[in-house]
Amino acid sequence: MKRQILTSAVGIITALLVGLIIMAVQGYPAFDSYYQLFNYSLFSKFSFFSTLAKTAPLILTGLSAAVAFGSNAVNLGQVGQFLIGGISVTAAGLYIDLPPVVMIPLLIFIALLSGALYSGIAAWLRLKFNMDEFITTLMLNFVAQYFTMYLISGPLLDKELFSPMTRPINKSGWLPDLGGLDSTIIISIILLIIIYFIWHHTKAGYEWKVMGSNEMFAKAGGANIDKNYLKIMLISGALAGMAGAMLVMGGVQHRFLKGIGANYGWDGVMIAVVADSSIIGTAFYSFFFAMIQTGAMGMELETSVPSEFVLILQSITVLFVVASRKSAHLLLNRINILLRMKNIKSGGGIKEDEFID
Amino acid sequence: MNLLIELIRSTFLAAVPILLASLGGTYTYYADIFNIAMEGMMLIGAFTAVLGSFFSGSWVIGILSGIAGGLFTALIFTVFAVYLKTDEFVTGIALNLFALGGTTYFLRQIFSVKGAFTSSKIIPLPDWNIPIIENIPVLGELLSGYPFLVYITFLIAVLVEIHIFKTKFGLRLRATGEDDAAVDSVGIKSDIIKSKAILLSGFYCGLAGVFLSLGYVNLFAENMSNGRGWISLAVIILTRGRPLGLLFMALLFGFFDGLGLALQNTFIPSQFTQMVPYLATLAALFFYSREKKKSKGESKNESMAV
Amino acid sequence: MADPIISIKSLLKIYPPSTVAVDGVDLVINSGQIHAVIGENGAGKSTLMKVIYGLTAKTDGEIYINNKKTHFSNPQEAVNAGIGMVHQEFMLIPNYTVYENVILGTEPVGRFNILKKEQSRKKVRQLIEEYNLNLQLDSIINNISVAAQQKVEILKLLYRDVNVLILDEPTAVLTPQEIEDLFMRLKKLRDEGRTIIFISHKLDEVLDLSDIITVMRKGKKITTLENKNLSKADLARAMIGRDVVFTVKKDKASPKDVVFSVSNLKYKNEQGIKLLDNISLEVRAGEIVGVAGIEGNGQYELVRSIIGLLTPDSGEIKINDKRIDKLNILDRRKEMAYVPQDRKNTGSAQELSLVDNSIMTHHRINKNLSGARDYILSRRGARDLTDKLINKFEVISESKSQPIKSLSGGNQQRLIVGREFMLSDNFILLDNPTRGLDVGSIEFIQLEIIKKRDQGAAVLLISADLDELFGLSDRLLVIHEGKIIADKDPTKTNKEEIGAYMLGAEAGDYR
Repeated sequence: MKRQILTSAVGIITALLVGLIIMAVQGYPAFDSYYQLFNYSLFSKFSFFSTLAKTAPLILTGLSAAVAFGSNAVNLGQVGQFLIGGISVTAAGLYIDLPPVVMIPLLIFIALLSGALYSGIAAWLRLKFNMDEFITTLMLNFVAQYFTMYLISGPLLDKELFSPMTRPINKSGWLPDLGGLDSTIIISIILLIIIYFIWHHTKAGYEWKVMGSNEMFAKAGGANIDKNYLKIMLISGALAGMAGAMLVMGGVQHRFLKGIGANYGWDGVMIAVVADSSIIGTAFYSFFFAMIQTGAMGMELETSVPSEFVLILQSITVLFVVASRKSAHLLLNRINILLRMKNIKSGGGIKEDEFID
Repeated sequence: MNLLIELIRSTFLAAVPILLASLGGTYTYYADIFNIAMEGMMLIGAFTAVLGSFFSGSWVIGILSGIAGGLFTALIFTVFAVYLKTDEFVTGIALNLFALGGTTYFLRQIFSVKGAFTSSKIIPLPDWNIPIIENIPVLGELLSGYPFLVYITFLIAVLVEIHIFKTKFGLRLRATGEDDAAVDSVGIKSDIIKSKAILLSGFYCGLAGVFLSLGYVNLFAENMSNGRGWISLAVIILTRGRPLGLLFMALLFGFFDGLGLALQNTFIPSQFTQMVPYLATLAALFFYSREKKKSKGESKNESMAV
Repeated sequence: MADPIISIKSLLKIYPPSTVAVDGVDLVINSGQIHAVIGENGAGKSTLMKVIYGLTAKTDGEIYINNKKTHFSNPQEAVNAGIGMVHQEFMLIPNYTVYENVILGTEPVGRFNILKKEQSRKKVRQLIEEYNLNLQLDSIINNISVAAQQKVEILKLLYRDVNVLILDEPTAVLTPQEIEDLFMRLKKLRDEGRTIIFISHKLDEVLDLSDIITVMRKGKKITTLENKNLSKADLARAMIGRDVVFTVKKDKASPKDVVFSVSNLKYKNEQGIKLLDNISLEVRAGEIVGVAGIEGNGQYELVRSIIGLLTPDSGEIKINDKRIDKLNILDRRKEMAYVPQDRKNTGSAQELSLVDNSIMTHHRINKNLSGARDYILSRRGARDLTDKLINKFEVISESKSQPIKSLSGGNQQRLIVGREFMLSDNFILLDNPTRGLDVGSIEFIQLEIIKKRDQGAAVLLISADLDELFGLSDRLLVIHEGKIIADKDPTKTNKEEIGAYMLGAEAGDYR
């Protein structure tokens, strides 16, 4: 645990330094830009709440990827499952109108279900026809993109507007605003706790963890790989679907518009990767990513660094954190060896049971 | 008739970037490197090609800078995946997003536009007219007047086949993919073989990017590779990395891509026609996997076969 | 008198994180001799050779080749200096041909680096004939026997015309007959003036073959002796540091009812090769049935069929008269303990903790591992089980949460065997349970196996180690090309006879 925090810190700092250099080389006031990045994401109630609102869907897409990768299911379909969740909730929200106490749980259920069904397609193709989910989920992303695009520029189009988008969903489906705080974050935290519990305190979670480390061992030990795989894919899809729904049910737009949440899917993948599929790590990096994304707008405003800069910052953070995880290991080994050598040369003994061939 | 000729022409054009990228990916396939960075290599190549062509006013510089972009991405991949031993999957994912973010950022930073950049100062690849054939009706229309890279690409496919199956490098490359420890034990540095494989894939993916932004169209748009890198990866898996098989598969996808374009002017909404190449990939994978499943034994596949 | 060709001074090798594998070894190898380096698993023999060969970097110390201080940073340099090595795990490309494997690394090329095959093919063919290796140039490695693969490894070295051949445990995978064949070939090479370094832990073979013997223990060189008037007991004492019993003690078996049976098991692979050819066998309560055979003759498929990882084409598998061959793996596991041959790939999840590795299968069977609801895993139950395993099977470890990969091989295997032995007293399936372990762990595990038998378990033991089979089995079967071709009482047969069966001799062929 300690080592994880250390290597993450080293990785993040290295990435920020590289970002600093990139900005400085282009003549931007680099330090001030970073200050604004944090200023606009943390230092006021409004900006902190904005960061939390961004954190909410990122936690879910991050968890979606973490649950999958952590159990050896290569679900790269967060983008598609996100869109399907979002469009399903939109359609339901447009045509159904019930009191909020019923409406909101219903929409949440629809979001989870539709996301799960969409990832379920990939799972089914794998189990039934042995088609690698890594490719099918990717291809289904594009299918979902074009399909939702068709719906919002055709059947569900708000004809009063020029750009493809739907009408706002019925008010009964809007998530409440808690004094400036988007209530989506509460849903995300609840789901985070549930997933944490499943992962660390249930037999199924144990089997998934083992599958993520060595599937053959789990199989020979009697774990039902196919059944577990199906559950994982469904949960993974449900989480991504819920993330998509949040963008419609929460926030201010309450409608499905072109390019909605364009990066959340892939951000989730990056978060899971950089967190090494740990649940707590996913929460942390979701917040970190949300923070720099939120601050980017302010940075652009104040020091005119294009906000797209954070896309670069995110990807180099991933690379450096993951790389420092590896190199910290190698470095520690080297130090250990040097210490041992000194010890032996100065006549120190060797413990039993230290030999390998 | 005209429609058919259009379809065939667009088949060739759409096949080229997939063929180039998958030829590059073949090297990493045989070196047993899980190279999902092809998408990013291609995107960066497309961007730097426009950059080079725009500022120099020369398509030659455009090609060179496109290739340089692909190589640059491959170099990062090599440093992290081969030398820092970072997971290939992770490195690839991060690089793809780096490519997406980086090109979007610099598009805005350098050209001050969002979405797409087009300009008459971007010099495209020249077309080649084949003497004699160009004057034959129909045949001339079918075979002549493509950007010259189209012709070169088909030649490259043959050369890659020879390179991988007939040369010393090819023998070592495939051996590295099967068992790198065994390769090390006979005194070949497998890390160097792997690095070369990644750089070669970067070279060809960069070239694929060049064709996208200077041949297929003449502009740069955000995320313009649009999944072609992944389709190329799928193509490699489906043909098990045989370059001549790639040629066939790439043409098939080119055909579906072209078909999508041709159907655009019909009653079918364009969003559905645009899905065609991706659905075709799924269909191809379906038939491939069904064939593979006939081989009995274990119920689970060895996923991530790349 | 021979000249020193390799000499080593105070060589030190530490593996990360801080495992000392070779601890200040001095050694002189003279040319034109067969020099055996012996020691038990983990004594540092292989590491020492890998350092000489340039495959692993040394931590400290000096190496002299032909009296010149040398340091190989990769195997190519070693080969150029005339030193070649055959590794314990063969370094062959499985889908390449014999010829391609031989030339890999020294490929003859023409223009544009395109391979030029003719001359080199001729040279390889000549070598095969000269040394009577009986290999085909274009056979695919995957399709030839292990003994043939070993010949390819030697051929690789001959093609490179090396002067010093290092062979790491070359006999581990061979039958007695094949071993004899190999030794003849090695002696011929020595008589031509080449130097051979022969690594082994099998004392009979070392005494039979070598001119000089160096004994290593725990990373240190104990002694170097000339092979004159040496006894097995002397060597063993030097190797292990105490007197050793060569076979574990056990009482005569008193088998009871049939617990486990396989009847008419058949399986063909995709290529139509019969890997299981109508196999029938029985194991009774209180007996250990051993299965001998050259690797790749169906043992793997047999084990996987029993455990449920492979669906055979036909046949029945029963435990206590209940058919299990249609059950899923978990339901089968309720009836049996299973120790797989590869502890890294099937026996454990290397990255996970001792707790996570201890509770596998138990978590679905053992009620103590359930929490408030049946689907909840009791963390306390898991820890208790792990503690029990660590104590009972004497696993040396620092904490329960350390990853299993940080334990030595012997301790990993103790944990795995312990986990399985606590699952079932009924039927126990063992696939090479002591392969690659230190003598202490081997002894410990073998005694546990006998204990289980004496408590009435039916034990099926598949092993590549004839010593182990003769030491433990109450009945010994031989499997060849997917068929059980012999069923012998180990007290009434010998290794040579079993070896002949392993090579496919018909009953009665022997003698």
